Amino acid sequence: MTQENQSLKDLQQQMLAWLQVYDTAIKSSVTGTEKVPADIRLDIYANAYRYRLIEALEETFPAVNTLLGDEGFFELGLRYVDAHPSQHFSIRYFGQHLSHFLASDEHYLEQPVLSEMAHFEWLLREAFDAAGKQRLTLEALQHIAAENWPVMQFSFHPSVYRIDLRFNVPQLWQAIELQQEPIDIVAQEYPQGWFIWRRELKTYYRSMDVDEAWAMDAMLKGENFGFICSGICEWVDEQNAAMRVAGFIQNWLNEGVLSSIKAESGKNSLIT
Amino acid sequence: MTNITEQKKYSHLGFGLGLRKEHYQDVLDSQPAVDWFEVLTENYLIDGGKPLYFLNRIAERYPVVMHGVSMNIGNTEPLNKDYLNRLKKLKNSINAHWLSDHLCWTGTNGTNAHDLLPMPYTQESIDHVVQRIEQVQDFLGCRMLIENVSSYISYIQSEMTEWEFLNEIAQRSDCLLLLDINNIYVSAINHEYDPLDYLQAINPQRVQQFHLAGHSDYGDYIIDTHDEPVCKAVWELYAQAVARFGETTFMIERDANIPPLTELLDELSFARSIAGVVQQQGYHKDTIQAMLDTIPVQKVIHAEQEQMAL
Repeated sequence: MTQENQSLKDLQQQMLAWLQVYDTAIKSSVTGTEKVPADIRLDIYANAYRYRLIEALEETFPAVNTLLGDEGFFELGLRYVDAHPSQHFSIRYFGQHLSHFLASDEHYLEQPVLSEMAHFEWLLREAFDAAGKQRLTLEALQHIAAENWPVMQFSFHPSVYRIDLRFNVPQLWQAIELQQEPIDIVAQEYPQGWFIWRRELKTYYRSMDVDEAWAMDAMLKGENFGFICSGICEWVDEQNAAMRVAGFIQNWLNEGVLSSIKAESGKNSLIT
Repeated sequence: MTNITEQKKYSHLGFGLGLRKEHYQDVLDSQPAVDWFEVLTENYLIDGGKPLYFLNRIAERYPVVMHGVSMNIGNTEPLNKDYLNRLKKLKNSINAHWLSDHLCWTGTNGTNAHDLLPMPYTQESIDHVVQRIEQVQDFLGCRMLIENVSSYISYIQSEMTEWEFLNEIAQRSDCLLLLDINNIYVSAINHEYDPLDYLQAINPQRVQQFHLAGHSDYGDYIIDTHDEPVCKAVWELYAQAVARFGETTFMIERDANIPPLTELLDELSFARSIAGVVQQQGYHKDTIQAMLDTIPVQKVIHAEQEQMAL
């Protein structure tokens, strides 16, 4: 910015302050007509600012909206707009902090299901337009020599997201999505592992046993097959560990959530 | 630069529609008689998934152009390089014929208001916007189009009319214009001037494309909502625009209350009819009026408090 456009900068600062906190400094720069005074004109912009952003939240979080009701969701939207002004060039990312906001704002602390639902809906959105990538095939896995299995590392499709949920959020979401009879919100004693992914153009989610969730988390961090077989012994007998992990991999192959495999042993390596 | 010639414009694409997700499958299945599609840039600055899947397939079958809302050309902060990089990559990947954005600012202080906020019509604004359009055009290696926005406020700092502002920016930055006929009408009603004054003042040599859309009437003012069919007054102005600017790439925008594709195709046919008549016979008010009388468009006046209810 140069000195020459200082007044343009000031004007923009004032207008933004009007939109965000109703700072009236901009009024001295705006003219109206007899028919439509300046105040009404400025209100058009202030209202549109909030409506547009709340509309974006409605689109991304339909189940949070249903749980709160339209009025409650609109109030949430107003609070969120003030707390987290959009920083991204695309309005698609505006709701990225909603789950955290719901978990930390005093108005919602007694409804922890809302934060979980917002997290779940946000990940559905992330999976929806995540990058595409090749899917690993069973044939590629069969090319790995048996002695290299312990060092196998897998990469997952970019649309794969792991989430642990204390509440029956996916069931609630599905009932809302399919416009079924409302179901009760149920809190479980322990969080349930889930994962979300996209195959072709459809987004999926399913629950996981605790050892499968641990194995996927470890693989997402880059741990190899041997490490995971050792770790899984917390839940299964040692002699069944490799079979159990191989079973997970078989399921993930069928579900199309694995993208590539890397097996390195000394100088020999194979990347597929 | 001066005296841009017709050769410096892009080839005309004919009569197009805004591509909306509600019509993706229908477009691929029925391959409607639309000359081209305009795509909303920001919807496709993503990594993958359904929107890009459909965009790529539709771009294989139809000419496409990109229309953005977040270049923030009037902002006083530096241009967003990440945004421009993604823009260029998308343009190349779908072979877009051109890209456009709005003559406005959309945020500052790192905040995106996601609204098309008007500029003060000053020499300072012109100097600022011209050098930014030049930066963008240098980066992209092609001319961009800038579009006039609907506005609801006037700044006391303004030193000229909106059309003088638009003309000078286009001339000095050597960019082209996307003239939104509906936006001219909306701003004319809101600021109480004659939309024909605006239309007649625009330099025809810069006009590459028209937009038409519907708006919401609140009685004393109107708001550019793109949620209704094009109204008769805007069709009338379109006929005048065809008379002044001749063959120009044309499209209809609809962003809310999205109707079936066939309904938009009917509106597009009507635009073709008006353009055909005006180009053959010249602009005759009675002829256009007779054509407008055939469209059953009801004027809906929205309650003011509905918009103001916050």
